[in-house]
Amino acid sequence: MTKHEVYITPNEVSIDGKVLIHNKNGAAMLTELYRAYVGDYPKFFKMDTLSKLGFVASELLLHSEGAERFVPREDRAVVFFNRSASLQADTAYQATIQDPENFFPSPAAFVYTLPNIVTGEIAIRNKYFGETSFIVLPENNPQIMARELQNVFLDPMTTSVLGGWLDCTDENHFEANIFLILKS
Amino acid sequence: MGGKPMIVRVSDNIISPLGMTTAENYVAVKAGRSELKRHDGLWQLPEPFTASLMNREAVNEKAAQLQIDDRYTFFEKMIILSAAKALEQTDIDPTSDSVLFILSTTKGNVFLLDKNETGFPRERVLLGYAAKQMTDYFHNPNTPIVVSNACISGVCAQIQAMRELESGRFDYVVTVGADVQSAFIVSGFQSFKALSVDCCKPFDANRTGLNLGDAAATLIYTRKDEVNENDWVACRGAIRNDANHISGPSRTGEGSYRALKVALGDTNPDKIAFINAHGTATLYNDEMESFAIERAGLSCVPVNGLKGYYGHTMGAAGILESILSMQAIDDHNILATRGYETIGVMHPLVLSNQNQPTEKRAFIKLLSGFGGCNAALLFAKGGEA
Amino acid sequence: MDELIYTLKQQIIEALNLEDMTPEDIDENASLFGEGLGLDSIDALELIVLMEKNYGIKLKDPSQGKEIFKSVAVMADYIQKNRTK
Repeated sequence: MTKHEVYITPNEVSIDGKVLIHNKNGAAMLTELYRAYVGDYPKFFKMDTLSKLGFVASELLLHSEGAERFVPREDRAVVFFNRSASLQADTAYQATIQDPENFFPSPAAFVYTLPNIVTGEIAIRNKYFGETSFIVLPENNPQIMARELQNVFLDPMTTSVLGGWLDCTDENHFEANIFLILKS
Repeated sequence: MGGKPMIVRVSDNIISPLGMTTAENYVAVKAGRSELKRHDGLWQLPEPFTASLMNREAVNEKAAQLQIDDRYTFFEKMIILSAAKALEQTDIDPTSDSVLFILSTTKGNVFLLDKNETGFPRERVLLGYAAKQMTDYFHNPNTPIVVSNACISGVCAQIQAMRELESGRFDYVVTVGADVQSAFIVSGFQSFKALSVDCCKPFDANRTGLNLGDAAATLIYTRKDEVNENDWVACRGAIRNDANHISGPSRTGEGSYRALKVALGDTNPDKIAFINAHGTATLYNDEMESFAIERAGLSCVPVNGLKGYYGHTMGAAGILESILSMQAIDDHNILATRGYETIGVMHPLVLSNQNQPTEKRAFIKLLSGFGGCNAALLFAKGGEA
Repeated sequence: MDELIYTLKQQIIEALNLEDMTPEDIDENASLFGEGLGLDSIDALELIVLMEKNYGIKLKDPSQGKEIFKSVAVMADYIQKNRTK
């Protein structure tokens, strides 16, 4: 059973179907949303765009849920899907090693070259000890996503999933369509 | 047996520098062999590193025999070849829509991002597109699923396979795990100061970091209502997060401890031959695992790690290490932890650098990775341990 | 030395994405990790890259960082003595 839904593109934000007003677009919009609705988590600024997108989207979703925050729990899974994995971070890291004359591999860039880092960021923020997972598909496919999200409940402890589509190719191209789903 | 259907191994394959079949790999590992070698100046990297790398010519040759030609990248050749070798031992028809392919990888064709690589369309850097090369080769009609969960991907892919079979949508799942090394991956781990210039020493007092390795491995699973005593059953698995840090493991082994607890369930630890640990030979990982194992009440169960033979094979590791552990139990053997000499973790573990006999028929595969993720999976020969 | 400290603060802010911070906000004698700026292990690794990239200093053993990265002042002092560019 889907309880809440957040949809974000570079120029559009909605929570449970209601449009959220904002001034900026692209990655700057994610920062604007962070300042307006979160504000107390400076680690946000160190994240790559995929993690910023997942972080902001999950914060809006959890505001909408309205339950008590930051209580350690093992019964909530975080499972995202996308097409581009960590492409933006991969490209950023590659830039630090492309030129042999200017070869300074960046550990802060490298750590984000794994798409599942965003699931870890959300688990850390919320003290979620449950399942975290990242699945890549050739294209967005709501049917497969629904099937896989249902499968997550086959874990004996999982009673809710924060998950859905979370794709980012660069600062101006991204899409989040994430849900809070309760075990039916 | 009755009750819930069980998830059973149909066949498997390992392609690594130690061999092109599971049997070749097991024999080599049992004999203590490794292809971990020091490389100076490879891929123009300024610092040397030790890795277990494939002979690419040998792979090209084997692949060509199956019409896996140069339209495919080296990574794609590895996954298709491994899947083909596992499938050829079965009568599974990969063109059937009851067969699903799951790919476990962290970096796939990432080398294509290098501006000097121009031989392939750039879109093949997308993991789903690389996986499609494999399903198209086998004319499989289903969309492939790629699990990209850092270093635990290989166990996650198997848990995923179990769920796909349990839910009844598919009859067979071909689970393929692979990664191939490149300047991208090696320099990244070097920037993390995580690599050892020498052969890695899992759980050892003098361990200084991990090595990396190329490999592809495949496990095919199906669902059975009744199992026989030689069937390998994937019993229970769990994925849990440390909720602590994106790159460093939890000091208290939070996620690994919780994953172990679920995987163990109400199985008596006495029934378990060994825990095949992640054992990367980094300071923090091995320490964390020892604490998690102790917290889960499994200190008396022998522990081994296989990174001293292959290095860390990333997306392949969870599958490759599960297959070798099954082989070891078939051979009544607990494989030696190559590179280990003196205990170097605070929470005592039963470790050995010699092969040890066992008559037990179950083991746990344990993994942890960046993003704070951890996974554990209990396997038992002939059904529930 | 004051100039080096100021430049170093700017470089740290940029390399570590310390949003909303200016060099004036950083006390050069305050601890970089834990209580002070609250940096973590990835930041420490990024500071190693910063020293190599901007000052040609290669740390042989990353655990040396513990001493060198005590504060901006200690770091500047180390750079002054060991820089090759």
